[in-house]
Amino acid sequence: MRLELRWSDVDELVTAPATRLVGKRLEVDLEGLSELLSADSRLARIRLDLAHPGERCRIGRVFDVIAPRAKMDGGEDFPGVLGAVTRVGQGRTSALAGVAVVATDQQTDNVGTLAVIDMAGPNAALSAFGRTHNLVISAWPAPGADRSEYLAAVRLAALKAAVHLARAAHAVEPDRVEVFELPPSPRVPAELAHLPRVAYVFQIHSHQRPTGLDEGILYGDPVRRMLPTIVHPNEVLDGAVLRGFMGRSVTTWTTQNHPMIRTLYAGHGRTLWFAGVVVTVAQATEPERVRSAFLAANLVAYTLGADGAVLTKIGGGAPHVDMAQAAAQCEALGVRTTAIVEDMSTDGSAEGMLLFDFPGVDALVNVGSSQEPLTLPAVDRVIGADDLAPKLLGETRITYGGLCGAIEQVGSTRVMAEVR
Amino acid sequence: MATGALRVVCYVNQFFGQLGGEDKAGIGPQVVDGAVGAARAVQQALGGAGTVVATVICGDNYAAEHAGSATVELVTLVAAARPDLLIAGPAFLAGRYGVACGALCAAVQTQLKIPAVTGMHAENPGVELYRRQVYVVQTGSEATRMLPEAQRLVALGLRLARGETIGGPAAHGYFARGVTRNTVVEASAADRAIAMLLDKLAGRAFASEVPRPEFPPVAPPRLAKTLGGATIALVTDGGLVPRGNPDGIEALNATRYGAYSIEGKTRLDASQYDNPHRGYDTTWVKQDPHRLVPVDVARELEQSGAIGKLHETVYSTVGVATTLAQSARMGREIAEKLRAAGVDAVILTST
Repeated sequence: MRLELRWSDVDELVTAPATRLVGKRLEVDLEGLSELLSADSRLARIRLDLAHPGERCRIGRVFDVIAPRAKMDGGEDFPGVLGAVTRVGQGRTSALAGVAVVATDQQTDNVGTLAVIDMAGPNAALSAFGRTHNLVISAWPAPGADRSEYLAAVRLAALKAAVHLARAAHAVEPDRVEVFELPPSPRVPAELAHLPRVAYVFQIHSHQRPTGLDEGILYGDPVRRMLPTIVHPNEVLDGAVLRGFMGRSVTTWTTQNHPMIRTLYAGHGRTLWFAGVVVTVAQATEPERVRSAFLAANLVAYTLGADGAVLTKIGGGAPHVDMAQAAAQCEALGVRTTAIVEDMSTDGSAEGMLLFDFPGVDALVNVGSSQEPLTLPAVDRVIGADDLAPKLLGETRITYGGLCGAIEQVGSTRVMAEVR
Repeated sequence: MATGALRVVCYVNQFFGQLGGEDKAGIGPQVVDGAVGAARAVQQALGGAGTVVATVICGDNYAAEHAGSATVELVTLVAAARPDLLIAGPAFLAGRYGVACGALCAAVQTQLKIPAVTGMHAENPGVELYRRQVYVVQTGSEATRMLPEAQRLVALGLRLARGETIGGPAAHGYFARGVTRNTVVEASAADRAIAMLLDKLAGRAFASEVPRPEFPPVAPPRLAKTLGGATIALVTDGGLVPRGNPDGIEALNATRYGAYSIEGKTRLDASQYDNPHRGYDTTWVKQDPHRLVPVDVARELEQSGAIGKLHETVYSTVGVATTLAQSARMGREIAEKLRAAGVDAVILTST
């Protein structure tokens, strides 16, 4: 499978009568785009704002962030959610660097899952989204739209916007083309057969909260009864996997630019052989968890024939233990593992960092503590959260988990909890 | 916060205070003006940054045998010298000395609000006892290189006294205090994870970024009587509470638990219960509380004589993101209450 990400760099985002890419300036027809996104009976009203790096601006109530991508040559975008259900991960995809679409959640009933983005100040550097030009979508639910319908509509609007922006790059020559090509896993050239075979076990959802019917996660499937399965890494990079509706500490943007898959590609054929990706969900009950853990390990050990596996989780404590059980099953089959965990301590004590102690699961990387307090400086403008603006304008105390992009559990983060 | 030349007090034992060896280990707390014995190395390390205004000395045996009162006496002597910083030891591998250094540093920090630092060898029992409260700099086992060791204590002590940021244990050579702080590193977590995996696969040394937790195994005690004569209690961390959550048990990171009577109940009526637990899908437990707390089956077993008696109080808390300290406390309190009520065994349902 061969995927071309055709990157165009953007260093300016402006409103204009038509959407087009002129050099590195992306002109957006905000009015036309707003009209396009408003055509959803689940939404009552839509507003679009632009936020720029360096601006003393805070984006409040962030729900998810989407990377602007659009398939070329008639391919489907975000299949199963926006486009028709069809395979992605191959062919050509236009991609914009330096721009992101930020979806906000204007319902207040679950503030714990929301986050902010700072466009300037000391915290901007902690998140990828403090360095991108952001198109911010605020949408309000139509009367009668329930929570799941509203979030599905908000996400769909963000996906449409992401495609709308990236299509502007179809007409121009890309600044660079990134090629992702991985042969079928067993076909290792003899001269590279000595490299360790490494698989990635990617937990894409946690069933602590059941998914809504319209909460498409894998090719539009709400992964309710999903058992571990193998996908091609290119499918993940090309829009087959979206984040569910509850998942602070992970964004769809990061899945589209998956740091682990990129690192494995970077080492492929040099320091390792990228053996493939297994996607899993964190299960809700013990028999499901055990079944899922050994099935994932089976795929890693017996199907992909991996020597090593790296695992990541999504969410809190149950996914953390679920991932560790899968790692323990891998170790039991002789597959060496590392896992990325979040510091789970709620009182800042090192003894509370980890919720498990399984044999062999001894190589752990951490993405920091989302509970550690963080102070945001005062800003000039708040967007995406009008009703909270008085509170968010001034110096604000939040936690690392509340700064969107600071802690990305799939590994792009550079925040680390250090034991002192 | 002190600036300029600092007033420093040193604490040493009878040997490093040059009063004598083991024969003088019973000597009680005393103070000498200026730097004596090992404190001279501290003064040398301080250079112009500070002055050792007093050396407080106590015999190892006295400190060990009068642990509580010796610390009180020593804190009084330290306070009288009005220091900006206390440097205790280094105690190397000397156990009684190390424990005394740790105890004095902890007391001076909390009672006098004066920063303190000590130093020891990794195997000194004072390390494990005090590293969580006190900065303990890692030293060798013997006093063969006193000046460089004193320099490292002084370097960290000066940062503390000046209110400067303290970096990680590796940067300053102290034993990890067991607290975590977010820091920004160069390589992404994904890059570090793959590098660590390749090291592990190649059999090279690797350093996990998370310490293995110490969950000591608890052997279940044997039930001393037959089930037919035993009183059984139901306990859960799955979050079942009466409607309205009268004890306000937190949805996560719980610090509270509830004791709920089931007297006269053969079943739990779903409409009278709720569940604030935020760590799992509570739909099915709300629909039928027996899925979490099996009062129905337990009553049948009680009726049939399979168990002697069902305890009339159910204990419940929310087990998600709960700290180890809170879990241990709640567990201890619940166990004490069950024991006092004559309960012989517990069915603990978790989620």
